[in-house]
Amino acid sequence: MPDTITPAETRTGTIRILLADDHALVRRGVRLILQQEPDLKVVAEAGDGAEAVELARTHEVDLAVLDIAMPRLTGLQAARELAARKPGLRILMLTMHDNEQYFFQALKAGACGYVLKSVADRDLVAACRAAVRDEPFLYPGAVTALIRNYLDRARHGEETPDQVLTPREEEVLKLVAEGHSSKEIADLLFISVKTVQRHRANLLQKLGLRDRLELTRYAIRAGLIEP
Amino acid sequence: MSLFWRIFALNALVLGAATALLLWAPVTVSVPILLTEAVILVGGLAVMLVANAALLRLGLAPLARLRRLMTTVDLLRPGQRLPVAGGGEVPEVIRTFNAMLERLEQERATSSARALLAQEAERRRIAQELHDEVGQSMTAILLGLKRSADEAPPRLREELHEVQEITRQSLDEVRRVVRRLRPGVLDDLGLVSAITSLTEDFATHTRMHVTRRFDTDLPELAPETELVLYRVAQESLTNAARHADAERVTVALRHVADRVVLTVTDDGRGIEAPREGAGMRGMRERALLIGGSLEITPAPRAGTSVQLTAPVPRKQL
Repeated sequence: MPDTITPAETRTGTIRILLADDHALVRRGVRLILQQEPDLKVVAEAGDGAEAVELARTHEVDLAVLDIAMPRLTGLQAARELAARKPGLRILMLTMHDNEQYFFQALKAGACGYVLKSVADRDLVAACRAAVRDEPFLYPGAVTALIRNYLDRARHGEETPDQVLTPREEEVLKLVAEGHSSKEIADLLFISVKTVQRHRANLLQKLGLRDRLELTRYAIRAGLIEP
Repeated sequence: MSLFWRIFALNALVLGAATALLLWAPVTVSVPILLTEAVILVGGLAVMLVANAALLRLGLAPLARLRRLMTTVDLLRPGQRLPVAGGGEVPEVIRTFNAMLERLEQERATSSARALLAQEAERRRIAQELHDEVGQSMTAILLGLKRSADEAPPRLREELHEVQEITRQSLDEVRRVVRRLRPGVLDDLGLVSAITSLTEDFATHTRMHVTRRFDTDLPELAPETELVLYRVAQESLTNAARHADAERVTVALRHVADRVVLTVTDDGRGIEAPREGAGMRGMRERALLIGGSLEITPAPRAGTSVQLTAPVPRKQL
């Protein structure tokens, strides 16, 4: 998606974050984690979706981190609002829902990343930075769903990859489709978790599932979400 | 004619015939009785008894039909009634029985509806509390641990990392429980997303190849109807995977006139009708709950096809 608004990161070096979660303790935890990083700053906090939309209007923010289950406006509704009103704003979902349907709906609503709360301590900071670079931050269950679906369709001749996969990538592809985690794949293939993650990223790139819009389009085409 | 008068008339007929015979036929009964006379009398009695039995049987036939229906009637397949003809006591009993069936079916439908609704409501409440309270607090703990670990001396950090992993696993477990208790995606994203997610789950965790066919013009449904459609799809997929050893399953949602039809067709071993288990009964009860009908038939090429037809409610007043 060509974007005319430059993220503020390039101007000031700090990513200004709007945080929305109806649970004050979680908000505090997330804020403290993010504040540890010199380039991340939480500038506004909301307790529900409507407040988040309101605060995004009155504050200069580069990134919104939204919970999905919130009163008044849910995170998905808020994301839709925010994406429509402030196209330059990046959106990241932080949620308990381990379900690819929420992930695809979040992409459709305009979010570019999806982080499960159970891995927030590990992945949140990386996801924030990826979001600001406009790279999708994929959650593992969604990658499995996408790849399984892709393989099914490829078998029936409905899809062909743009580029040929290496034998190693094909191995990883098969294991991902079978639902193995990166850690398990690393153990099975005697390689490091980092290498597995690199293979996965390359895979998605080669399958043409590289960014938010491509992923969303694919999910709609494959019937994973409604158009 | 009432049962009493019918039986009375039949008996009167037989007794009248016997009396007429005695009066006008050229027979006499001597005292002491002669052997031939005794034979004739006993023969006459036998004829009377047989005639009486045959006539009574005829008169009581509707009651026998009623008894047969009473022993075989199945409240899970509503609509079984006896034909009523004429007036009198027997048709009246049949009519009353039919009315009683009607009432029982209704009572059963409402009471199982109440039980199912109560169960779903309770599940929803527990899921919500687990998600909103336990899940969120554990997230806060996880984030707190991460911060402490970052600032702790190396030896302590190691331990904190372990605690972090335990917390993460527990949080994952809570999430799984919540998901099993209640298809949250149904409330948040609707029926199509929920069934899509369900089929993806089955495709991932079993060897089945699941195909989805959804009409694009599906009408809006009441939440209870959506939940029943979801649970029936879930149960059918579970049966296909667990009992039928199916390889391919098709899940379809179609909009036909004023109904929505869910069809789950598999290519597995199929089921024998007399052995409908608790799962099938559950599906039937749920179907009754929304005024729908459930049909379980062998699919065209082996396997099983489960079809639930649910009425689309007319727009609320």
